[in-house]
Amino acid sequence: MSKWYIGAGEQNDIVISTRIRFARNIADYPFPCKLNTKSRTELNGKIRDAVQNDNKFGLSFVEMKTLAGFEAASMAERHIISPEFASDAGGRAMLISPDEDICIMLCEEDHIRLQVMRPGFALDEAFSVANEIDDFLNSKFDFAFDSRIGYLTQCPTNLGTGMRASVMLHLPCLTMNGAITRLISTVSKLGLTIRGAFGEGSEAVGDMYQLSNQITLGISEKAAIENLKSITLQLCAQERAAREEMIKSLDTEDAIFRAYGLLKWSKLISTDELMKNLSLVRLGSVSGKLPVPLKTVNELMISLQPATINAKAGQKLTPRERDFERAKEVRESLA
Amino acid sequence: MLCQNCGKYEATTHVKRIVNGEAAEAHLCSDCAKMLGYEDVFGGFGNIFGSFLGSFLGDTGVERLSARTLQCEKCGSTFNDIVESGKIGCAKCYETFYEKLLPSLQRIHGKTRHEGKIPNKIAVNGDSKKMQIEKLEEELKAAVDAQNYETAATLRDRIKELKEGGKNE
Ligand SMILES: [Zn+2]
Ligand SMILES: [Zn+2]
Repeated sequence: MSKWYIGAGEQNDIVISTRIRFARNIADYPFPCKLNTKSRTELNGKIRDAVQNDNKFGLSFVEMKTLAGFEAASMAERHIISPEFASDAGGRAMLISPDEDICIMLCEEDHIRLQVMRPGFALDEAFSVANEIDDFLNSKFDFAFDSRIGYLTQCPTNLGTGMRASVMLHLPCLTMNGAITRLISTVSKLGLTIRGAFGEGSEAVGDMYQLSNQITLGISEKAAIENLKSITLQLCAQERAAREEMIKSLDTEDAIFRAYGLLKWSKLISTDELMKNLSLVRLGSVSGKLPVPLKTVNELMISLQPATINAKAGQKLTPRERDFERAKEVRESLA
Repeated sequence: MLCQNCGKYEATTHVKRIVNGEAAEAHLCSDCAKMLGYEDVFGGFGNIFGSFLGSFLGDTGVERLSARTLQCEKCGSTFNDIVESGKIGCAKCYETFYEKLLPSLQRIHGKTRHEGKIPNKIAVNGDSKKMQIEKLEEELKAAVDAQNYETAATLRDRIKELKEGGKNE
């Protein structure tokens, strides 16, 4: 199990983690949509050889077809790979670090999707690691690039820098007081997008949000990161102000303690119930109301998603079996 | 929530799509949904980028006809293939359909000119090093004119590197 996400990090009362992704394609090869499984596999092998020949980042090569479906899905739940990448193993592989903080997806939407994750708010650090790996890869391969429109990608929405920088935010009070709806539309006017960090729909399960840059062409990496940074800090300030106000109310305190009791004593807990109550327990933890370390909350949130429970059990459990395992782990962690 | 396409009207149509390999939702007003071909939400989850292109092409039937004949010599994609799939086939496609793609790039990003990192090793659509240096010098001039000194400094370094690399070869 990877450990990057339970670390502390800057602004960790609100910012869970930071992620940088680069999209790159090897010059002279058609993009993945024009490659069959055989050519993809060959290209993946070439990238593997080049990287492992001089493996200063300690990356292991894994072909996606060697993973069970729930193992791949579990990696997607932990945000190590994209859900899209997990959904189809054909001609796909990854180069991954032992801590899972560096992952290079091969033949996802582009030949190379490089991802670096860090706990807390660490955009500069994550960017500098990603940039170093990018330079390393570029020393082995020529990248598809056009001086007018930048790094060339299969989907024009990633053209230019090919960079997506994002932060995962816990915004329970802005969600409770309804301010989030207005903030979402404001943020989208500033070239950023915000969406739920868990689950498929637009609803933010557990009040967890993913804030990322939307535009990649005509804005440098540095400017995009500065923009994301400043908006993240503004959201953090607003969330803290809302917390300070709401935490004074007996109703909020009651909700926090009820959530704690429910998690502590239940015998069956669904993912939704876990996330909903964990959000309140996290609020209780950072505000000093509950004797629960933040680290424990972060770990429960990421390690008790459905496929991750299956992966730990080494088999596909029924929903009821998972609810039982989930409740058991929560009880033990909070005991 | 306001429509993500026009930003004017309340979004009533919610379309799931994959952006950057992740599921995302597009929120559109009924007019924009109609224009982009999402009239019936259950009728098909098209690709919003392709629809952007489609709506541009839809403006002129003549364009659509001529677009059919032009083909990428490397991967064989026609512009209609790109519109339909929402995917570019290869780097050469960008060169082949550059002019046709510009309005969509403008619409998606609000800009059409790259700013930021430049690869260390450049092999751009078979350009020679000399062409590359010329292109970069043009960029440098533009960056200086725009008082974009950070970009200018990066470009200057790249040009220097390319020129020095040239001597060694
Ligand atoms: Zn609209
Ligand atoms: Zn092509």
